Amino acid sequence: MTHPSTDLTDGIRVRGLTKTYAGGDPHRPALESIDLDIGRRRFVSLIGPSGCGKSTLLRVIAGLEDHDAGEVSLFGSTPRALCSAKAIGLVPQAPALLPWRNVRRNITLPRSVNRRAGTGGEDPDDLLRAVGLGDVAHRYPHQLSGGQQQRVAIARAFGMRPELLLMDEPFSALDEFTREALRLQLLVLWQRRATTVVFVTHSVREAVTLSDEVVVMSARPGRVHEVLPIDLPRPRDASVVTGPRMHALEDRVRASLQSAWEAGAAPDDLVPL
Amino acid sequence: MTAKAPVRSAPAPRRTTPAPRRRRSTRRGPLHPATWAPTTVLVLVLGLIWSAIATEHPYILPELSEVGLALVDRPEVFLTNAWTTLSIALAGVACGAGTAFVLALVMSEVPVVRRALMPLAVVLNVTPVVALAPGLVLAFGFGMTPKVVVTAIITFFPVLINVTTGLRAVPPSVLHVFETLHASRAEVLWRARILYGLPYTFAALRVVMPLSIVGAVVAEFVAAGSTGGLGTMIRNAASTARLESVYAAIACLAAMGVLMLALVTAVERRVLFWHESQRRAST
Repeated sequence: MTHPSTDLTDGIRVRGLTKTYAGGDPHRPALESIDLDIGRRRFVSLIGPSGCGKSTLLRVIAGLEDHDAGEVSLFGSTPRALCSAKAIGLVPQAPALLPWRNVRRNITLPRSVNRRAGTGGEDPDDLLRAVGLGDVAHRYPHQLSGGQQQRVAIARAFGMRPELLLMDEPFSALDEFTREALRLQLLVLWQRRATTVVFVTHSVREAVTLSDEVVVMSARPGRVHEVLPIDLPRPRDASVVTGPRMHALEDRVRASLQSAWEAGAAPDDLVPL
Repeated sequence: MTAKAPVRSAPAPRRTTPAPRRRRSTRRGPLHPATWAPTTVLVLVLGLIWSAIATEHPYILPELSEVGLALVDRPEVFLTNAWTTLSIALAGVACGAGTAFVLALVMSEVPVVRRALMPLAVVLNVTPVVALAPGLVLAFGFGMTPKVVVTAIITFFPVLINVTTGLRAVPPSVLHVFETLHASRAEVLWRARILYGLPYTFAALRVVMPLSIVGAVVAEFVAAGSTGGLGTMIRNAASTARLESVYAAIACLAAMGVLMLALVTAVERRVLFWHESQRRAST
């Protein structure tokens, strides 16, 4: 699979992004001068210690939060404009399903709001089959397992054929076995639909398994520490995921995280800012 | 005792034995003696005490048999009066709870209205409505209006507070999903806030439905010259020392309250099948 190299008008472009939370220390912004380029149809993970601002960065890209300085350009457009065109799919940490709607109607929720931006999208039944939930289409969220709920949330986000898919630690509440299965399922879905994905995670393994690039962030203030390319072949089947190259890359990301942590976790008076 | 070793070696058989669950989770039907026997015994004991007092001091409590006879003798009187009181109560709930619901929606969308109304609503809540009643009767005459107004005021506040809380009970992640879809405020209100607020609304209704009967009866007590309703009946019977009629009317009021509560609960169970509070009932 060949990816177009990072053309600046045709991808996500973040320049000098700085954000301080209201009431936060102005000398310690949540995000400080973030520069980031993500090519169209790339799968990019944000990883870093807690407090490094990876979720904040995701929310800024989603247009859910304002920023103080810098610019965010999504395919030459603004986050807000992309939202009003229903071109951003969000998968939050909690599945965020509406408990009074059954699985199928949860998946079709995006078409029933903001109808001006269109009511099209993928056929919900095809989508349900693709995530292996065809037989629970008429169940309600409380009748599903945590893994099934998160699959519904992923299907809902894919259903609108978004240009950009933002995922905020979607698997963090699941057990390791379910996570592993869902990662592979996500990859299958993504490869068929080829959308740009920004994926926030705590898990090194998850980041390396899924991504084309891993963005390692450091905390206090939140900065991009390093961007590591993951040049594993796709599709990433079992032989790739268990191979020696995979382990080498995991170690590489871990080492980067370690130095990011040391950069961000040192006591105040020792950090020359 | 060496506790560590056996615990470590025994996880597998432990998982297969359902023993610790059995005792607690046994659910008995309504016909099982353990369900109805305690209440029945208590009612019988209380009935005996009542009878003993009634025989000794007939001016404190009437004989239960006389109360029963009063009900059986003239059921149409009790039924028409109960209907009068019930219609006041229901009209009051419709006005009070309905207004409160609409106001809560407006307050959740327009913060200025919230800041303006909330203090007044609190003051209204701490004002004893019984004290308002005579003035309202003077203002609105002796018909149904003052009674409905008293009932509406009583039922207004619990609904306002609960619905206001409920409309804010949407998980942030759900709001984020709506926001990235660029949903309008009306869509968020209609498709998320009101529905997430429903459990709170029903909790308010369960409080307010029986309360509406209290409102109606108090209004009837106060409205001198009112001709119908169980409250009027109680007042008139008490003034002529017909205790059996007083208690028969009270029994009717209690039955009305139970029926209203049962109705709300039944509707709630159907509407909120998806909510945690109903989970045990539905599965």
